[in-house]
Amino acid sequence: MIHLLQINPSTAEAGSYLPVAIQLIFAVGLVSVLMVATHLLGPKRKTSDKLQNFASGIESHGDARQPMAIKYFLTAILFVLFDVEVIFFYPYAVNFKELGWSGFWAVLMFVGFFLCGFTYIIKKGALKWED
Amino acid sequence: MNALILSAVLGVIMMFSGILLKQKSAVRGVAITGLAALLLVNILELRGIHFFKIDVAGMMYFDRFALLFISIALFATLVYFILSAKDMEKVGADYAEYFALIFFIICGIILVASFKSLLILFLGIEIISIPLYILTGADKRNLKGNEGSLKYFLMGAFSTGLMLMGIALIYGAAGTFDVEKMKFAIETPAVLPVTGMLLLLFSMSFKVSAAPFHFWTPDVYDGAPTVFTSFMATVVKAAVFIGFIRLFDETFGTFQVKWQMWLAVIAAVTLFIGNITAVFQQSVKRMLAYSSIAQAGFMLLAVYAMNTSAKEGILLYAAAYSLATIGIFSVLNKLNDYTFEGFNGLAKQQPVVAGALTIFLLSLAGIPLTAGFLAKFFMLKSVIDTGTGLWLVIFAVLMAAVSVYYYFRVIQAMYFKEGKADITVTGRFKWALVTIAALIIILGTFPNILINWLYF
Amino acid sequence: MNNVLHLAYLVPLFPLLGFLINGLGRKSMSKSLIGIVGSGAILASFIVSVWIFMQVKGGNTFTAEYFNFISADKLTIPFAFKIDQLSSLFLLIITGVGFLIHVYSTSYMHEEKREHFGRYFAYLNLFVFSMLLLVMGGNYVIMFIGWEGVGLCSYLLIGFWFKKPEYNKAANKAFIMNRIGDLAFLIAVFWLIWKTGSVSYDTILPAVKEGTSGLNNTDILVITLLLFVGATGKSAQIPLYTWLPDAMAGPTPVSALIHAATMVTAGIYMIVRSNVLYSLSPVTLNVIAIVGLATALLAATIALKQNDIKKVLAYSTVSQLGYMFLALGTGSYIAAVFHVMTHAFFKALLFLGSGSVIHAMGGEQDIRKMGGLAKYMKITNITFLIGCLAIAGIPGLSGFFSKDEILAGAFMKSPILYGIGLFTALLTAFYMFRLYATTFKGSFRGTHEQEHHLHESPAAITFPLIVLAILSIVGGYVGVPEFIMHGAHSLNDFLAPVIVSVDHGAAHAAGHLSHSEEWMLTGISTALIVIVVVFAWTRFSKKPDTAEPTGFGKILANKWYVDEFYDAAVVRPLNKLGDFLDNMLEKPVIDGLVNGVGKLVNYSSRQLRLLQSGQVGSYVLLMVISMLLIFALQFFLRK
Repeated sequence: MIHLLQINPSTAEAGSYLPVAIQLIFAVGLVSVLMVATHLLGPKRKTSDKLQNFASGIESHGDARQPMAIKYFLTAILFVLFDVEVIFFYPYAVNFKELGWSGFWAVLMFVGFFLCGFTYIIKKGALKWED
Repeated sequence: MNALILSAVLGVIMMFSGILLKQKSAVRGVAITGLAALLLVNILELRGIHFFKIDVAGMMYFDRFALLFISIALFATLVYFILSAKDMEKVGADYAEYFALIFFIICGIILVASFKSLLILFLGIEIISIPLYILTGADKRNLKGNEGSLKYFLMGAFSTGLMLMGIALIYGAAGTFDVEKMKFAIETPAVLPVTGMLLLLFSMSFKVSAAPFHFWTPDVYDGAPTVFTSFMATVVKAAVFIGFIRLFDETFGTFQVKWQMWLAVIAAVTLFIGNITAVFQQSVKRMLAYSSIAQAGFMLLAVYAMNTSAKEGILLYAAAYSLATIGIFSVLNKLNDYTFEGFNGLAKQQPVVAGALTIFLLSLAGIPLTAGFLAKFFMLKSVIDTGTGLWLVIFAVLMAAVSVYYYFRVIQAMYFKEGKADITVTGRFKWALVTIAALIIILGTFPNILINWLYF
Repeated sequence: MNNVLHLAYLVPLFPLLGFLINGLGRKSMSKSLIGIVGSGAILASFIVSVWIFMQVKGGNTFTAEYFNFISADKLTIPFAFKIDQLSSLFLLIITGVGFLIHVYSTSYMHEEKREHFGRYFAYLNLFVFSMLLLVMGGNYVIMFIGWEGVGLCSYLLIGFWFKKPEYNKAANKAFIMNRIGDLAFLIAVFWLIWKTGSVSYDTILPAVKEGTSGLNNTDILVITLLLFVGATGKSAQIPLYTWLPDAMAGPTPVSALIHAATMVTAGIYMIVRSNVLYSLSPVTLNVIAIVGLATALLAATIALKQNDIKKVLAYSTVSQLGYMFLALGTGSYIAAVFHVMTHAFFKALLFLGSGSVIHAMGGEQDIRKMGGLAKYMKITNITFLIGCLAIAGIPGLSGFFSKDEILAGAFMKSPILYGIGLFTALLTAFYMFRLYATTFKGSFRGTHEQEHHLHESPAAITFPLIVLAILSIVGGYVGVPEFIMHGAHSLNDFLAPVIVSVDHGAAHAAGHLSHSEEWMLTGISTALIVIVVVFAWTRFSKKPDTAEPTGFGKILANKWYVDEFYDAAVVRPLNKLGDFLDNMLEKPVIDGLVNGVGKLVNYSSRQLRLLQSGQVGSYVLLMVISMLLIFALQFFLRK
């Protein structure tokens, strides 16, 4: 650790990160000191209301980890998937003219693969709600 | 480029073949034909026939090295399909999807083998990894498989994070993803690229299951359905090695001094842990998992040496190791008992199978006249050529000697122990095994058959 | 590619195919088919060899490179065949004599079971293939492959009747003694690679001639000596000759082909091939001359008292090989090749003749139990007599010309060499006619049943005998000496391109003999030989040498006790040493060490296994710790 202190901060060495390290130590130190201090100094009153989960003021009921039908997840994930992929159209829309025909073919291919995926999940019955 | 596009299309085709074709054998036929076509177009490209002219903006580069490796990987996969495709039926109902996933993995393999931009490397690695997570847990009712899959996913995500962080740091230092445009100073590389390089080193080590980032390997390989272990321990691992060697050659070649030492250490630790732990395993499948770690340690020597014979050697190693391991796994698939005792007396029941298996094991152990010997020889020679790291060579040889112990345990069980290892194999399966065994011997006698493809 | 001699690969290809067909189909093919395949393969390569010979005679020599056999760093060893005057001549001898012996074997081995019959022909074809590789190889490595191949085949064929333990012992002895020589050969090849970076004749030999090879005199001395040691193994010279008489355990045609006509001359071929090197090393040449002469003399003395028909011929072979080495040592390379050729004819003839005799005698090999066979076996008798006359060196027959040339060469070097050489030639004449007279003259001494059984052998046996007898007569006329007829030594002219005469070599120090001197030498030797022949003939046809030998004769009959000496001096001490090391070093030290390592590995394995806890948390923790460690070492400690 001796040479750590001798480092010239201008060279691009690990030592030039010394200020960062000091700041890190300071930040961690401050937080831990404050937490320990409040814990030790603050008064403690435990009531049942205070120990309850806070859910935007609405009274919570039941366990959050309830089993539910996989279909929700599947539909939701597929929705997110296709929804997000649509985002790719935005940059294309902006550069529509500059990209010309090659851009068009590329996007067409993208949409093609896209449709393949969509057809696939329909054919596989992933979106069938009733059994 | 030929194979890249065709493999993506074939993945989609396989997805639909599961819906359109009712017969499993028809699905299998489509997959094998598709793969053969893939191999064909890739060899055509190796001979200079390109079907596609797409501007990839310098992000990929299909040189002879990449194309030759892709050919090797495709050939190994073809062999794998021929030997083991039928056994995938046992895993679960989604037969066609397994093939589709494998084709997507191949797509990733092609990206990893031919990247010129760190983005493509990352894409390739992820395209390889995600289908693997799924394949590991393909047998939904198997708790061990599920556990392995989850572990693999968690730790894989961890290493992906490391890799992204590394790429980000390097981008910060170089201002580009293009490996050719990065010119890092040789003498005093800055902290940023060195940190990035180390992070990439860790994540690549994770992907090739080098110690101390290998912990996922035994659990995942053991948990996954045996057919898929076979694929991920061979073709996939070899592909990641090609990515590894390209990355460290092209991107970090300039400051080799900074990482060569670490690679030596990682290689030595990998060899040690892989070989020594394999000794005490009771299950052949788990032994093979550790053996794959040990073999990775040997392949790391090529990354360490990074010279011509290293690059020639890693191709030979990839071929030798993949073929032999696929062969062993294909037999393992047919057995009910995965322990060493499960092999007892196999030589009496199935002399041809046992004979071929013996050649595979000898090749893995690196006995002369087999491809495995020459592959190991090339690795050691490449290290000697660098003029440094003689200790590593000696250590590697010692560890190779240890490996003989656990490989020969299988041979011993087959030939010298009484038992009833009954498997039923078709004549075609036997022929395929014998062909691979012959190939291993041929490669072990005339390695130039393979290596000359790099140069003409 | 454009040179037609590229097709030379056909020559070894046919025997190889024959080997494969006979080897694989030996259980399903009929005997006649096996015989046709085996002999046909050799005939085919003989025809190709003749064609090649014509090409070479027309001045077309070629080194055909087929593919890179070994390529390591800077060293590349091509799989190449060198077709020149020397190799084409040997091709003719090997395939020609080989074909005759194959034909002979179809009859001689006919009583074997079909499977063994096929095995025999497969081995024989494999032998011819290996021998062709040896001779055609374009570099020392290919030669070495052939060299090992013929050694293997010799082993397999000596031990062909593997059910008799002593035959197996003989086979082992041949193999082990050959291996000693092979080791020296191999070291010589490594030395060449080390010093010149090449093994091809086309690279090394011209460079040596020019003096640009990078070999200094010491290198050449070491290499030539090592190669010569290799040659002593294969060509049965002192001290590695004792395997050859024992090798007579094999079938007689095998003795004729391998242990008389072809394989044993491999050492001579090798030295002639490397004559450039040898010419630069007078010391080695002297060693060769002395060893050759000593072998010739020693073997000839032993042959005087042998009673086994094949043993006599075996020692005679050793003796004749010694003669050839004498020729090499005196620098008369062409004379050596000449003698190889004539010897191939008459010694193959003699062996095949003895085979015919043994066949007729129902397996009896002891000449004391024969006698008077001339009455029963006319063709065998006449051809055998021709063989004896040829080997004795009676003028007009092939042996005369080649032997005379060797003796003339020896005389040029030193009259002492000539004197001993001539003495050996007289011994040769003596024991050969002792053999002939005891076997074919006088009265029959075997059992009545044997006498009843006596008959001339079938055509497949007599045909090769006749052909070889003709060759034994006319074979010498390719090398009629200068002093008899000017320009008639066509062999000399033919081989001249491959023999490099180096002027400062000791071989030519004495200059050339005048014609009158040569006439005189020839006259003396011929006269003496004729006297000896007549003496031996008359003496042994009347009173065969059937008594147990005593005194000096006993020493000779026991082969100078060389085998016993080797046993006491080499084999037993080695066994003792082995016992000692086994008890003192092997068991306590090495076993302990090895087992200890095994235990250590097992122990470490058990401990390391525990790292694999199955908990993802602990895995990630271990990974992170290792990463931090590497980071810390990279940035803060490695300065």
